[in-house]
Amino acid sequence: MERSLARIALFAALIAALGFVPKIDMGFGVPITAQTLGVMLCGTVLGARSGALAVLLFMALALLGLPILAGGRNGFAALASPSVGFFLGFPVAAFVTGWLMTWSKQVSTVATFNAAVFGGIVTLYLFGIPGIAAKAGLSLTEAFWSAMVFVPGDVIKAAVAALVTTALARARPGLVAGAKEPASAQF
Amino acid sequence: MLTLTSSRQTWAHDWPAGVKLGLLVLFTLILFALPGVTLTALGLALPLALATALGLVGDWLRLLRPLLWVGAVILAWHGFRGTPEPGVIAVLRMVAALGAANLVTMTTRLSDMQAVFLWLARPLSPLVPPARLALAMALMIRFLPVLSLRAEQLSQAWAARSRRRIGWALVFAVTLAALDDAEHVAEALRARGGVG
Amino acid sequence: MESGIHLQDVSLTLQGKPVLAGITLHLTEPRIGLIGRNGSGKTSLLRLIAGLVAPTSGSLRVEGARPSDRKAMLGALGILFQNPDHQILFPTVIEELAFGLIQQGIPKPQALTRARAALAAEGRAHWENAPTHSLSQGQRQYLCLLSVLLMQPRWLLLDEPFAALDLPTQARLRRRLDALPQRLVTISHAPEAVQACQRVLWLEEGRLRADGAPDQVLPEFGAEMARRGAVDADTDL
Repeated sequence: MERSLARIALFAALIAALGFVPKIDMGFGVPITAQTLGVMLCGTVLGARSGALAVLLFMALALLGLPILAGGRNGFAALASPSVGFFLGFPVAAFVTGWLMTWSKQVSTVATFNAAVFGGIVTLYLFGIPGIAAKAGLSLTEAFWSAMVFVPGDVIKAAVAALVTTALARARPGLVAGAKEPASAQF
Repeated sequence: MLTLTSSRQTWAHDWPAGVKLGLLVLFTLILFALPGVTLTALGLALPLALATALGLVGDWLRLLRPLLWVGAVILAWHGFRGTPEPGVIAVLRMVAALGAANLVTMTTRLSDMQAVFLWLARPLSPLVPPARLALAMALMIRFLPVLSLRAEQLSQAWAARSRRRIGWALVFAVTLAALDDAEHVAEALRARGGVG
Repeated sequence: MESGIHLQDVSLTLQGKPVLAGITLHLTEPRIGLIGRNGSGKTSLLRLIAGLVAPTSGSLRVEGARPSDRKAMLGALGILFQNPDHQILFPTVIEELAFGLIQQGIPKPQALTRARAALAAEGRAHWENAPTHSLSQGQRQYLCLLSVLLMQPRWLLLDEPFAALDLPTQARLRRRLDALPQRLVTISHAPEAVQACQRVLWLEEGRLRADGAPDQVLPEFGAEMARRGAVDADTDL
């Protein structure tokens, strides 16, 4: 109980801390940072439920006004900008990533990469693209193509998430949920 | 501490946080229903006037800076497409909505915001007990600077020994620190009575 | 009620590695020192006494309470971790101080009042809303001590309380600890830190190597450490 609460809170802080690592802004208000990497890691390391809760906690603090989103923005800035869909899709992305991790029996680099790509990119963009369309006044097709600019960066992030997760599983066996999210995972 | 709350006290600081947030929601709903450039521009004038009246206009403008590039890109894109009006409206709405939200943030203490949030989350209490939610929020605020500092120290340690850019090893080290800290935190919680 | 801390043939195995083996102790003295080299199991023993890890075998009672009885344990003992950053849970000083009291069932407003009173009594009223991460190492350690003392435990377990402190801060903390009415179990790898104790326990590779008055245990410990230091200390890693 204490442990799952602590993991949720610490990983919420981790997403924010990763957002402070220097970023590259490529336009359309969706800066490339390690922040989505944090979202992926919540799923791959904590599992679906705890991972999604960690992301929700992070969002809650951002909406309270803390400037913890990439580029020193808070939750309101995210809601007002074209990246709104990505922001709202974060918890779903973490959940899907964590859920896909249960498909393989153990934590492997390939399985983790796949989970991060489908959870952290495909799922996230399903939310992100309509957001760009709505806020920037574009058609869905235009929004889709403008979002594609970020895909290469996100694929790299999925690869990093996979490397980090497998290294963590080796360094701290038993602490990485991976395939087997602990039954005690509750808030 | 890490917050956008203005340290200068204004009369708006005394308003209840719930009222300010309610007004913000109302303002945003109306703003997005306003037709045409002129009315939307008037929507932007309101938070600007308030910021000026509160004497916070400098900080207020500074907080809008992140939208500069986004706005420019949207305007350029719509100009290129030959549809300037929806572009201008999109940018005005974005700036007005964020500007109004920032006013609330700047004049409300984090703890007051937190209280409103916990009140809003009450319907969820069978799923998420409020005491546990409050504890999780406090833990996150406590460990955010800890983990950020760790990331910075690790990147300095990296720079001290390498000329190459920081790679995934930094992410690994910070994530490992988060995992290990979580174990210590869980133990410290248990040592003082658990989360109940 | 049974008084003191009882350990009956306690062993602890972590991830297949024996950490503590066959420890039987009855602790009642007001000041007890726990010495040993790094990795000898000192911290594990302290965590075990605090009920944070369960023994693999054997039994433990603190003032008659089982470790699983968390409520009784909270009133019986408090623990100070070696690293205050592993202990401080809250962003502000006042929240950190009040937390333990709230956990003991005291309503929040009263807990806050008592925490404020404690700060004022220490001449630190201005700390109330200070962010915990902005305090210095010594101040953070001090905050941890205050938080634990507010819960009024009968025993205090201290893990290397002086390790990261500069000399004046060490002296202040020592005076403060010496004046406490609580029974103290203090871990150290430095013999001089436990010189004033009534009883010193020497742990070596998870077993009790010696147990007695400081005058008996410390000279032998000093001689052994000097002997080990003369040979290459790292070869047994």
